[in-house]
Amino acid sequence: MEELKDASIHHTAIRISNEIKNMKLYSELYKSVQKIVCSPEVNKENIKSTLQAALLSNGLDTDIRNIVYHLIRSTVRNEYKITSLSSDPLNYLRRAGIQWERRVRKSLCNMCNEMQVTLQGQPRLSTDKEELLNKWNELSNYQIDLSNYRPVYAPKDLLEVLLSLKGPQRQEDDLHPKWEFSHIGLPVKKIYDLRMHFLDLIRNEKTANWSLLCQKVLQKRHSPLCQHLLKKGQTPTQYRGAFWAFVLGSHVEQYDQDHWDKLKLSVMNTDLIVDKLIFKDVQLTATNDDQYFVYEDVLYQVMLCFSRDTEINQIINQDIVNHSKTKQYDGPPSVVPFHGICMFAAPFCYIFDSPVKLYFTFRAFYIRYCHRLTTINTHPQGIVSLCLLFEKLLQTHEPELWSHFREIQIQPIRIVFKWLMRAFSGHLPPDELLILWDLILGFDSLEIIPLLAIVILSFRKESLMQVVTVENIEAVLADLSSIKILPLLQLALTNRD
Amino acid sequence: MGVPVNNHDRIKICFCTDLDKSVLLNNFEKRNWVSVNSEDDWHFYWAGTNTCRNIFSVDSGYRMHDNQMINHFPNHYELSRKDLLVKNIKRYRKDLERDGNLLAEKTDSLAGGTRYIHLDFIPTTFVLPADYNMFVEEYRKNPQSTWIMKPCGKSQGTGIFLINKLSKLKKWSREARNAFNPQITKESYVISRYIDNPLLIGGKKFDMRLYVLVTSFRPLKAYLFKLGFCRFCTVKYDTSVTELDNMYVHLTNVSVQKHGGEYNTLHGGKWSVQNLKLYLEGTRGSEITEKLFGNITWLIVHSLRAVQPVMATDRHCFECYGYDIIIDNSLKPWLVEVNASPSLTSTTVNDRILKYKLIDNILSIVLPPDGVPDVRWNKIPNPEALGNFELLIDEDLAAQDDGNNNKDKLKSSAFSAHNRWK
Repeated sequence: MEELKDASIHHTAIRISNEIKNMKLYSELYKSVQKIVCSPEVNKENIKSTLQAALLSNGLDTDIRNIVYHLIRSTVRNEYKITSLSSDPLNYLRRAGIQWERRVRKSLCNMCNEMQVTLQGQPRLSTDKEELLNKWNELSNYQIDLSNYRPVYAPKDLLEVLLSLKGPQRQEDDLHPKWEFSHIGLPVKKIYDLRMHFLDLIRNEKTANWSLLCQKVLQKRHSPLCQHLLKKGQTPTQYRGAFWAFVLGSHVEQYDQDHWDKLKLSVMNTDLIVDKLIFKDVQLTATNDDQYFVYEDVLYQVMLCFSRDTEINQIINQDIVNHSKTKQYDGPPSVVPFHGICMFAAPFCYIFDSPVKLYFTFRAFYIRYCHRLTTINTHPQGIVSLCLLFEKLLQTHEPELWSHFREIQIQPIRIVFKWLMRAFSGHLPPDELLILWDLILGFDSLEIIPLLAIVILSFRKESLMQVVTVENIEAVLADLSSIKILPLLQLALTNRD
Repeated sequence: MGVPVNNHDRIKICFCTDLDKSVLLNNFEKRNWVSVNSEDDWHFYWAGTNTCRNIFSVDSGYRMHDNQMINHFPNHYELSRKDLLVKNIKRYRKDLERDGNLLAEKTDSLAGGTRYIHLDFIPTTFVLPADYNMFVEEYRKNPQSTWIMKPCGKSQGTGIFLINKLSKLKKWSREARNAFNPQITKESYVISRYIDNPLLIGGKKFDMRLYVLVTSFRPLKAYLFKLGFCRFCTVKYDTSVTELDNMYVHLTNVSVQKHGGEYNTLHGGKWSVQNLKLYLEGTRGSEITEKLFGNITWLIVHSLRAVQPVMATDRHCFECYGYDIIIDNSLKPWLVEVNASPSLTSTTVNDRILKYKLIDNILSIVLPPDGVPDVRWNKIPNPEALGNFELLIDEDLAAQDDGNNNKDKLKSSAFSAHNRWK
């Protein structure tokens, strides 16, 4: 048994070191280690222990530990995929996912045909290129005709598809309304499991000088520790950017800067249909939002680069590619813009001044979390599981509301879906939203989102019970500016049984 | 002994207003007040400055009784007229300097000459035509700088223009004098150093509109409304000469911006001060942010102290001033101007909510706990009555704590105020 364990650690170590060798940061890392090996601190006779000591004193030890931490986090995901694949009953979900992806791509292709352009784009005219370059920092002044463009899809389109998901267990009878997710056999947490998962959120320990503690942890540059501190939901605003970058491993290195420059160059050189969709989306959402309109120009930059960053799909697909027959979409766009996609990036404008720093932390956040909210997948944090979790929590913990919704024949998911799909961005005021995203990062889980949706419904229960139309329900829930998420979540996790 | 009867129970509050604004009327209605004409017996008058001038003028012979209240001080313009504001602040500094007060400490200025270390919160300003020679002297020290001309008595950005050459000013003064309308020549202007290094967010220039409620000048009692906002230009900031005449770039007044092609009716270019604070803390750190907001409260308190000796005390009055502040790129706040009748027109839904709260909170602070105007009340509201206002300074309360001496108290109250700015 011991041997087996040793062997497994050995294999993991080999796998990880191989993966590190394939990473962009490897050459720099290798050079740094070489430098240390040559330093007088390292002794030829006792190379192992002296090198270890030197790495530690030099701080490189922390860097390597952080790299391993980020690798392990993404490989755990891989293993999950493998195990879940053996359970056949969910294949219909996977098929639905593929169909959805295909449909979105197809609709984009149709738009291309309509506009008589190709999906791969065309070289930008030199005059256009010049104008774009001149207005790179003020893209709101870059005038293009967008009247014929519309978002490829909106949250409600995805919702319709989700609501029509049919499983083998689903009985088509009139007694059961067709608007539940409960027939989907995905495992979701119960409130007890959630309480265990979010235990640190309700633990009430007083730290004498919280801000100083945060500062110390940042000096240690230790990613897991940073993640742990985010669980408190009390991250000092000024340290948030640093914390997030450590947890997501998104510090900007030279090769990242180069990558950004390449993306920018590609924006200048190639005219893509998604560019227009990006402009349209920012104009439809952030530009009109009183919390985010000031960041309009930053968002154009970030989203234009985002739309042609093929690395995004490569990273996301790493864990799917070997196991499914999903067709790989390699070329641009990396992500098909939907109505509201720029709202995933918008909150980062409150944390980072520099578009490059903003970009890489946003991209890492998108890769780890947001993309699951817009694709149909079987992941425990995918949108299907989150909808199911929401539904089960509502049923068990707010039965009165549940039956009220039934009586008035309104599907509760219709009311909250926009919150779920955007992870509340644009719905909560930015200060509260950033706390919510602290918690997503701290607990490495999107399950906090449906939980918060339930908590908000509970909080407004009295008013909700008095209204019977969708419009009035939406009116009750339209203004979330008074919601303080931390005490509400804590209350929900402690008081109930 | 019987239970003391509250006479006020039977009093129905009568209000009068010159402004047909829903944020006012809704608040009065919510309190079940009755609308009356100005000739009737009113308890509460939300008046325009003209009405106010009439009521206080000697000719009108109007005498207010103890249960009446009005929303302006007789000489509110000491703060809101651009020339008087400058005069008062200059005099305030001189007085402090003469007394050897540390607040009036000076240091060498980068632009030549000296500047006040602690009271340097208005851009260098001269009144024209009176101070023309002084202006020219100052101009010659820094011929590259841009100056902004504003008519003293006008608001909402009317009559404002930028000057970067002395010849342009001379040309303007010739034309003004030649004009047929003699009124123009009489009108005085202020000319101020233009803040050409404003803090830009998202590449755009903005200024802050903060609401300050004064319930008394002697002793000074003032409150700051926490829900202020930033007003953004719709057009990108650009200092090139060709843009000098494009006022949309330079002026953040909503009334100016509304005419720009890109005005957005959903947010109206308004961004909350809380968001500004969140952004600055996130990108610049909390120390810098707190210093900025501390300096803003400092600036407000000292601008009020500057007019304190010239204000007519009248216990019937209160005033809600609109402070316009520009922050430069070193995060130093500059007082640009003060409005005595800040706009109560709502441009967006949020704006409407904000202004409704503003009026609601003002009413609950200026009225005694029983809700009936009374000049004999000590004007010390309950903490719950403050709503979204925070106390800036109350010299009554400061005098009650007799531990420290008064000068320290003012300083510390101004400096600690920023901690409550949430």
